[in-house]
Amino acid sequence: MTRSGARRTSRWAAAGATALIGALVLAGCGRTDGGGGGDDGGGGGEAIDDSPATGTIQVWAMGNEGEVLDELAAQFEEENPDVTIEVTAVPWESAHDRIATAIAGGETPDVTMLGTTWVGEFAATGAFEPTPEGLVDESSFFEGSWDTTVVDGVAYGVPWYVDTRVLYYRTDLAEQAGVEPPATWDEYTAFTQALQSAGAQWGVSLPPGGFDSWQYVTPLAWQQGGDILNEDGTEFTFDTPEWEEAFAFYTSFFEEGIAEPRRLEGGEIEQAFINGEVGAFYSGPFHVGLLLDQGGEEFADQFGVAMVPGADSRTSFTGGGNLAVFEDTDNRDASWKFVRWLSQPETQIAWYDISTDLPSVEAAWDDPTFAEDPYLSVFGEQLQDSKAPPAIPTWAQVSAVIDQELEKATRGETTPADAIATIQQQATSIGTGQ
Amino acid sequence: MTLTAWMFALPFVVLFVVFMAGPIVASLGMSFTDMTTRDLQTPFQVNIVGLDNYARLFQDPRFVRSLANTFTFVIVAVPLTMGLALVVALALDKGIRRFRTVFRVGYYAPVVTSIVAIAIVWRFILQPDGLLNGFLSLFGIQGPDWLQSTTWALPSLIMMAVWRNIGTLMVIFLAALQGVPREHHEAAMVDGANAWQRFWNITIPAMRPALLFAAVITGIGFLQFFEEPFVMTRGGPLDATLSTAMYTYQQFGFGNYAYASAASYVLFLAIVILSLIQFRFLGRKD
Repeated sequence: MTRSGARRTSRWAAAGATALIGALVLAGCGRTDGGGGGDDGGGGGEAIDDSPATGTIQVWAMGNEGEVLDELAAQFEEENPDVTIEVTAVPWESAHDRIATAIAGGETPDVTMLGTTWVGEFAATGAFEPTPEGLVDESSFFEGSWDTTVVDGVAYGVPWYVDTRVLYYRTDLAEQAGVEPPATWDEYTAFTQALQSAGAQWGVSLPPGGFDSWQYVTPLAWQQGGDILNEDGTEFTFDTPEWEEAFAFYTSFFEEGIAEPRRLEGGEIEQAFINGEVGAFYSGPFHVGLLLDQGGEEFADQFGVAMVPGADSRTSFTGGGNLAVFEDTDNRDASWKFVRWLSQPETQIAWYDISTDLPSVEAAWDDPTFAEDPYLSVFGEQLQDSKAPPAIPTWAQVSAVIDQELEKATRGETTPADAIATIQQQATSIGTGQ
Repeated sequence: MTLTAWMFALPFVVLFVVFMAGPIVASLGMSFTDMTTRDLQTPFQVNIVGLDNYARLFQDPRFVRSLANTFTFVIVAVPLTMGLALVVALALDKGIRRFRTVFRVGYYAPVVTSIVAIAIVWRFILQPDGLLNGFLSLFGIQGPDWLQSTTWALPSLIMMAVWRNIGTLMVIFLAALQGVPREHHEAAMVDGANAWQRFWNITIPAMRPALLFAAVITGIGFLQFFEEPFVMTRGGPLDATLSTAMYTYQQFGFGNYAYASAASYVLFLAIVILSLIQFRFLGRKD
């Protein structure tokens, strides 16, 4: 026993030593050959001219966008005969890792679509090229949407499509109760209670914490003038009356029994809304089509959308997709030309027909497709007052803390004051990553 | 070994070194640094921080919680899975000969079914007004909202995982049972041993290698407990089902590569220790 034990130990020691040496070699070597990286960014490089694009452009796009972008790209190829666009569809679930791996391995495509909340994280690696001066007119985009491209005062890429939350509600129940869609917080509570007395089991469906629920509580802080970071973006400002009030208001729906203390997963919420169990909920534009499909024709008259109710403002959450060009692209000019073309109002209107993605350029919303549609026009209005979280590399981590504390608060395991104190403390220790 | 032998082994060796050993060593190295997303393009410029990540892990209440959850899971689920699988295997070996194939397929089906399909079915079962609570209400019991209760979420996932893994072990045990020499039983019967004595003194010792194998692979599998919380609860509610593998995955997602690597090495050590203990107690011959 002792002998074999000793042998085993020495074998382990040897294995450990080998691994350790490997680690030291890996971590130690190359420290001198550093350099690399794109820390020289900032200016945005050479301007892009108006000549036709040429060469091959590799584009990564996720989800539905990845499936149908080919259709739109064909139009660009027609206008620029010497260009070939190769679209790779990447599933959303693996997109984040795939971009990270591509950057680490130096095998990036030319252009990629990005979730708006990833910009800060990936821009910090220096893998993206700053948007060239004069490529697009910054003011032609919705402000909240443009802000998602800006990291440390530098824009990386261009907003492609936008997404914002509005309030979906049952018009038949509201009529029955004699209430109008709410504009203020007080009206909001009264409105959801009225839907409940008109027959809905729950006045409104809100996630009681958990994954991505920060998207529901953060607008409540924004609506009172609160924010995530201070003016110069150096410190978190969760420890403020606005955030405490936001948490208190959010949890009041659970305390008063207006919102179900249960998280409805995608797929459950539509059914609950259609069969009248839930009177209202917050969601993005894609739910209009889903509800019309699943509820049948007669259901079209039974629901409406309205701007989110607010306090000082009626700010909502905005997300969407951006387009970014990688620094080591072989076809820089053509890539930016393609991105520029995708952000033209006419292209974005055509893109809506293909993908039902909402335009990020304000001018596109003057088109009757959006202006005269009873649902879409509300989204257009809401986009004037929508905000995105700051593009900081650590946002995913910080927002997970909000999700967690919000869950504790709605379960009554912590008070709003303690919740925001914890968020402030943990966010500070995570840092802004800048 | 001869050169020819090495040449035959070469393709595997190359693939193993490049895709397995390399990353394993690299991530061990990474766990002593402060690498995050920001260093993706310049991985050789990271700072070496020694054992800081490991020290931080054990001060991180979420990591400690995830370890506690994982161990609870292993301690409950491993004996439960093995016990039930043994019962099923014995039943299939002895009685119900006629329906043996049907049952074998039935118990094995969960093993080969996609976790996503399983998740959908189990959500129906575990919903507040789902099958399980409907069944309980027959006895006048008001069941909880299984997956969204901090008390019941982990037991629910254990239930699922046990059900899902019985099949694998059942097949192994069944094969082992069929390998127990019939003569031993006959000899014992002649000596007047009853069924229980024969089971305890003949069947179990003969199955020891199979039991050891089953304990080790289920132990390792359950320490890496990931899929169930990932699809069913995302580690919630309030981290009640957060496993160490799940936590590591989250940290990788946040771009904390070094920290996540350290977490995965802690898990690796836990696996080594557990396996050594199992070999110690089940592996010896008497």
